[in-house]
Amino acid sequence: MVFFILLGSFLIAQEAPMTPSEISLFKEKVISESKSTKTIKSDFVQYKHLDFLANDVKTSGKMVFKAPNQVKWEYTNPYKYSVVFKEDQLLINDGGTKSKVDIGNSKLFKKLNELIVNSVKGNMFSDSDFEVSFLKSPKYNKAVFLPKDKKIAEYIASFELLFNKNDAQVFEVKMIEPSKDFTQIIFSKRVLNSAIDDSVFSN
Amino acid sequence: MIRFLAISLFFILTSCSLQTTEGLRQTELLLDEISNPYFENQSIDYVYKAKIEVYNNNLGGILIIKKTSPKNHRIVMTTEFGGKLLDLEFDGNSFTKNFVIEELDRKFILNVLKANFELLLIDKAVVVDAYESDIHRVFKTQNDKRFNFYFIKKSSKKLEKIVNTSKTKEKVEINFSSSDGEIAEGISIVYSNIKLKIDLEKFKEDAN
Repeated sequence: MVFFILLGSFLIAQEAPMTPSEISLFKEKVISESKSTKTIKSDFVQYKHLDFLANDVKTSGKMVFKAPNQVKWEYTNPYKYSVVFKEDQLLINDGGTKSKVDIGNSKLFKKLNELIVNSVKGNMFSDSDFEVSFLKSPKYNKAVFLPKDKKIAEYIASFELLFNKNDAQVFEVKMIEPSKDFTQIIFSKRVLNSAIDDSVFSN
Repeated sequence: MIRFLAISLFFILTSCSLQTTEGLRQTELLLDEISNPYFENQSIDYVYKAKIEVYNNNLGGILIIKKTSPKNHRIVMTTEFGGKLLDLEFDGNSFTKNFVIEELDRKFILNVLKANFELLLIDKAVVVDAYESDIHRVFKTQNDKRFNFYFIKKSSKKLEKIVNTSKTKEKVEINFSSSDGEIAEGISIVYSNIKLKIDLEKFKEDAN
C-alpha cells in the first residue's frame, strides 16, 4: 500500500512544467516535424469515460491525414462509421447511410473540428482561442490547452496533447469536459509520409 | 340516408378503434404489474450505437443508459467522437437535465426525447387490461392520457414490442430483439405522428 502511494506520488512528481527555453525548443521541433509530415496513417482506440459507468466506452479504427488539411476518421469497431473533413463540410458514412453536414455557419462546430484536424498534426500552439501550457515527463511532452472563449469552455474544460519525446508526434489526445468526464484517443502503428491517394478522402 | 348514416357510423367506429388491439382476444388480468427487463440491471452499462432519422435528416451517436439506483436511470447521448449531446437523469417520474447542447435544448425536442426515454425505461407499470393472440400475451397499462401495450411472446416469454397510443391512435412503436430476454441487442423506435425513427444497436461485448 505504502509502495503504491509512493509510486503514485513519484509518477505525479514526474510531470513538471517546461522552462521557457524548453518550450521554445519543443515548439520548434513540433512545428518542423509537422512541416515535414505530408501524410499520416494511424490506428486509434477511443475511450469515452463517464463517471457513472463501470467501463469506458471503447471504439477503435483508423485515421488518415494528408497535408494541408484532409482528414478521414474511420471507426471500424464495434461499428462502421467514417467522417471526412473537407473544407466547410463533413462527409459522413454511418454504416452505409451517407450524409453531409455544413459546418460553415457554426463557429463552435468549426472550432471543434479544427481541434481534431490540428491535434493530429500537433501544431496548434498559435491558436489564439486557447491558453497553452507545457509539461514534461521522462516519457512524454504534454501541451494543455485551456479555452478562452466562454462558449467553447461550456463544452471543453481542457484539451491535452501528449507527444513522443523522440519524434514530437502526437500519440494521445484527451478532451476533458467541465463535468470531468473525458474522451481519450490513443494512436498506434503510425506510418508517416506514405503515398496516400486523394480518393481516400471521399465517403 | 339510413345507408349513409350506417356507413358514416361504421367509419367513425372503425377509425376510433386501435389497430393494435385488432384481432386480439380480451382475457382476464393474469398480472398486476408488467415489467420491462431491458434496462433494469444496475451492474450493466447499456451502450448502443444510435441511428436517428428525423424529417429525412440522418443523425448518429452513442446512447448510454445506466440504472444508477433502484429508481434512477442516467441517460447520456454523445457523438461518435465522444462529445456529449445530452445528459439526463430519470427518477421514474421526472427528468433532471445535467447537460444539453444548445441545438437540442428546445422544449419540443426535449419533450419528445423525454417521452421516448420514459417509454423505454419505465421498468414496472400497473396492468389495466389484458389481451392475447395465438402468438402474444398483451398487457395494457395507462400513463396519464396515453396507453402502453406490452407484447410478450407466449413461446419465449420475451418482451417483443411496446406500442404507445392515445385513446384512438398509435403514437410510438418500440420493437426489441433479444436473444436472452434480458438484454436487447437491437431496438427500433418508430413514431407515427412525427417523422422520427430511432435504431439502436448494442455494442458487442467482445467487439474489441
